Amino acid sequence: MNVFSRWLARFLPEDQYGIDDVSGINKRYKKFRTNLLTTMLTISLLPAIITAAIGYFQYRDLLQTTEREQLLWNLEGAQKTMQALINELHSSIEFIVREDRCDEILDQDTLDGMLIRLKLKYNGFVDLGVIDSRGIQLTYSGPYKLKGYNYRVQEWFEHVRGRGFYISNVFLGYRNIPHFVIAVSKKRPDSEDHWVLRATINADTLQEFISTINTKASDDIFLVSRTGKLQTSSRYFGNAMEYCPICETSSHLHEIFKLERGMGDVLQVSAPLENTPWMLVLVKEKYIHQAAWFSFRKRLLLIFLGCSATCLVISYSLANMLTNRIRETDEKRQSLLTEAEHSNKLASIGRLAAGVAHEINNPLAIIDQKSGLMQDLLGLTEEFKYKEKFYTSIAGIQNSVGRCKAITHRLLGFARRMDVILEEIKLNELIQEVLNFLEKEAMYNRIRMELGFQADLPTIYCDRGQLQQIFLNIINNAIDAIGKDGLIAISTRLQGNDVLVRIKDSGPGIPPNILQHIFDPFFTTKAPGKGTGLGLSITYGLVKKLGGEITVSSEVGKGATFEIRLPVKPDKSAERDNNERNQSINR
Amino acid sequence: MSEIKVLIVDDEVEFAATLAERLELRDIVAETVNNGKDALSTILVRPPDVVILDLKMPDLSGLEVLHGIKAHDPSIEVIMLTGHGSTSSGIEGMERGAFDYIMKPIDLDLLLEKINQAYEQRITHKEQS
Repeated sequence: MNVFSRWLARFLPEDQYGIDDVSGINKRYKKFRTNLLTTMLTISLLPAIITAAIGYFQYRDLLQTTEREQLLWNLEGAQKTMQALINELHSSIEFIVREDRCDEILDQDTLDGMLIRLKLKYNGFVDLGVIDSRGIQLTYSGPYKLKGYNYRVQEWFEHVRGRGFYISNVFLGYRNIPHFVIAVSKKRPDSEDHWVLRATINADTLQEFISTINTKASDDIFLVSRTGKLQTSSRYFGNAMEYCPICETSSHLHEIFKLERGMGDVLQVSAPLENTPWMLVLVKEKYIHQAAWFSFRKRLLLIFLGCSATCLVISYSLANMLTNRIRETDEKRQSLLTEAEHSNKLASIGRLAAGVAHEINNPLAIIDQKSGLMQDLLGLTEEFKYKEKFYTSIAGIQNSVGRCKAITHRLLGFARRMDVILEEIKLNELIQEVLNFLEKEAMYNRIRMELGFQADLPTIYCDRGQLQQIFLNIINNAIDAIGKDGLIAISTRLQGNDVLVRIKDSGPGIPPNILQHIFDPFFTTKAPGKGTGLGLSITYGLVKKLGGEITVSSEVGKGATFEIRLPVKPDKSAERDNNERNQSINR
Repeated sequence: MSEIKVLIVDDEVEFAATLAERLELRDIVAETVNNGKDALSTILVRPPDVVILDLKMPDLSGLEVLHGIKAHDPSIEVIMLTGHGSTSSGIEGMERGAFDYIMKPIDLDLLLEKINQAYEQRITHKEQS
């Protein structure tokens, strides 16, 4: 579990605390988003892919099985039809060679007549011949002069004498026309001798007949010899009498071949025909039901693509949303941390300052009193040589004590929550007052003030002294930043329930690394002794105390802009403090 | 008008002594003590009109002494001295019966003014009772 959660945690962007590099942060969140997106897509798409694949193969198998069964069924039908033809040819011959007709058909005219009758039935009959047991053709009816021809040495002759019936392969013979032979052998009733009737039939008969078999179910149907010689023409494997290596089938009843041929696979089934040397072969190209298979694939693809697109869109927007949400939260946490750190810093600095101030305050009070006493006593003393000098010295001491007092009070004020005295303030006038105070310095440094006050700005409830302090600090800073020759633009306007004061200087600007520490106490870029580093820090604290916001934006070379947002009406806590104070004073 | 009697209570001996001396120069009878206990015992023997009381002292705090004084004689007015730069403890003192508060380092003229006001209030208070 621990390992798992640690693995999961690797998805989250690392803590960006203390990292200022913006591009690094962007990269981190980008990586997080990519990780999230990849994971979500994997989780959602993997099952879809698996399901689609299972469906694809399952359906293909189903279609293949159906197809194969149908083809076998067709084969069976074709086989029966062919078998019927063979049987019919056989019985036609058998009819002629009935036992009692043996002598009858030795007569040339009878045989001729029979041939004519057979021809009427099947045009393919070419000739008829009667052969005796020695293999000598006794009678012959047909276009050739074959009477007296001896067949004894020929293989088929032995075959027919043994079995009584024989069908040859298709062969060309010396007539050079593809034909085949059907021969029937019978015993003479009066002796043990056999006699044989031999009929030659053109292979066209087979071709014609096989063509009448409905070939819709298959793409190719043909007969082939056991040795692979085509008996009828094949669409794929050539014409009759050609050799077809793949058709060289064994004696298996149903053999299914699947081979790569051109575009698609080919399914081939074959079955032997009884009493013949032939095999009936059916070939089907693109053996899968095309229409059904295509529409299934199309639908599958569409559904899959639809799912993927939906997943993609949802995952993408979800990943984006989550990343942005996490980023916002992180940034908020970051800024809260920064703020907490800042106020922590302020608080500890404040405690230190208060301690120091308080310790200094007591001796300061003594110096104050002692010098006061000296002054009092001097007043009671008659004129002496250095009296005036004593007076001026005492005045000097008291002046210095006054300055120290101001500093300690300021430090103590920085540290502690000074009371906010709310009163109606016309902000434009207040800023003008502050400017009057700084006028001489600005003039001396040739710094122009450009005022863009909103005339109908509402009066705000705020603490006059603290506001003065805020603007004095910021404008003073602007003057210091510009040095000599420049412009300070100050504008006020109402924005919602807040008054917005913008103070823009034409100084050198603040680099980003300084900008982020600008409100930190004791952070100063001024030369040692020139600034305490407390000014902006105090300003920040004051603005916060008054319920406002202060932000700064700057680019090097483009000056700096401070924006102070003050509520027209203070929040309740400030008001309550004020009321309490008033009550206690009135008592 | 009789002399105003002031008791200065502050653990800073030098401060109390000098302030007392300066007040004497301004025709105010000033006595100093440097802790809360002495302050409470002194008011029994020589009751002052006004007590100038430092808030922060090592033994008894200013607020405790204030409580003791007011328990003994509510007509004795007390001006609190605060060195904290904060008005809150001064205000607290006022809530508990102090006449006013003033921040250290003090402005003598302001203190004199407050002493006079406190004295006047004590007289009025006495006349009423």
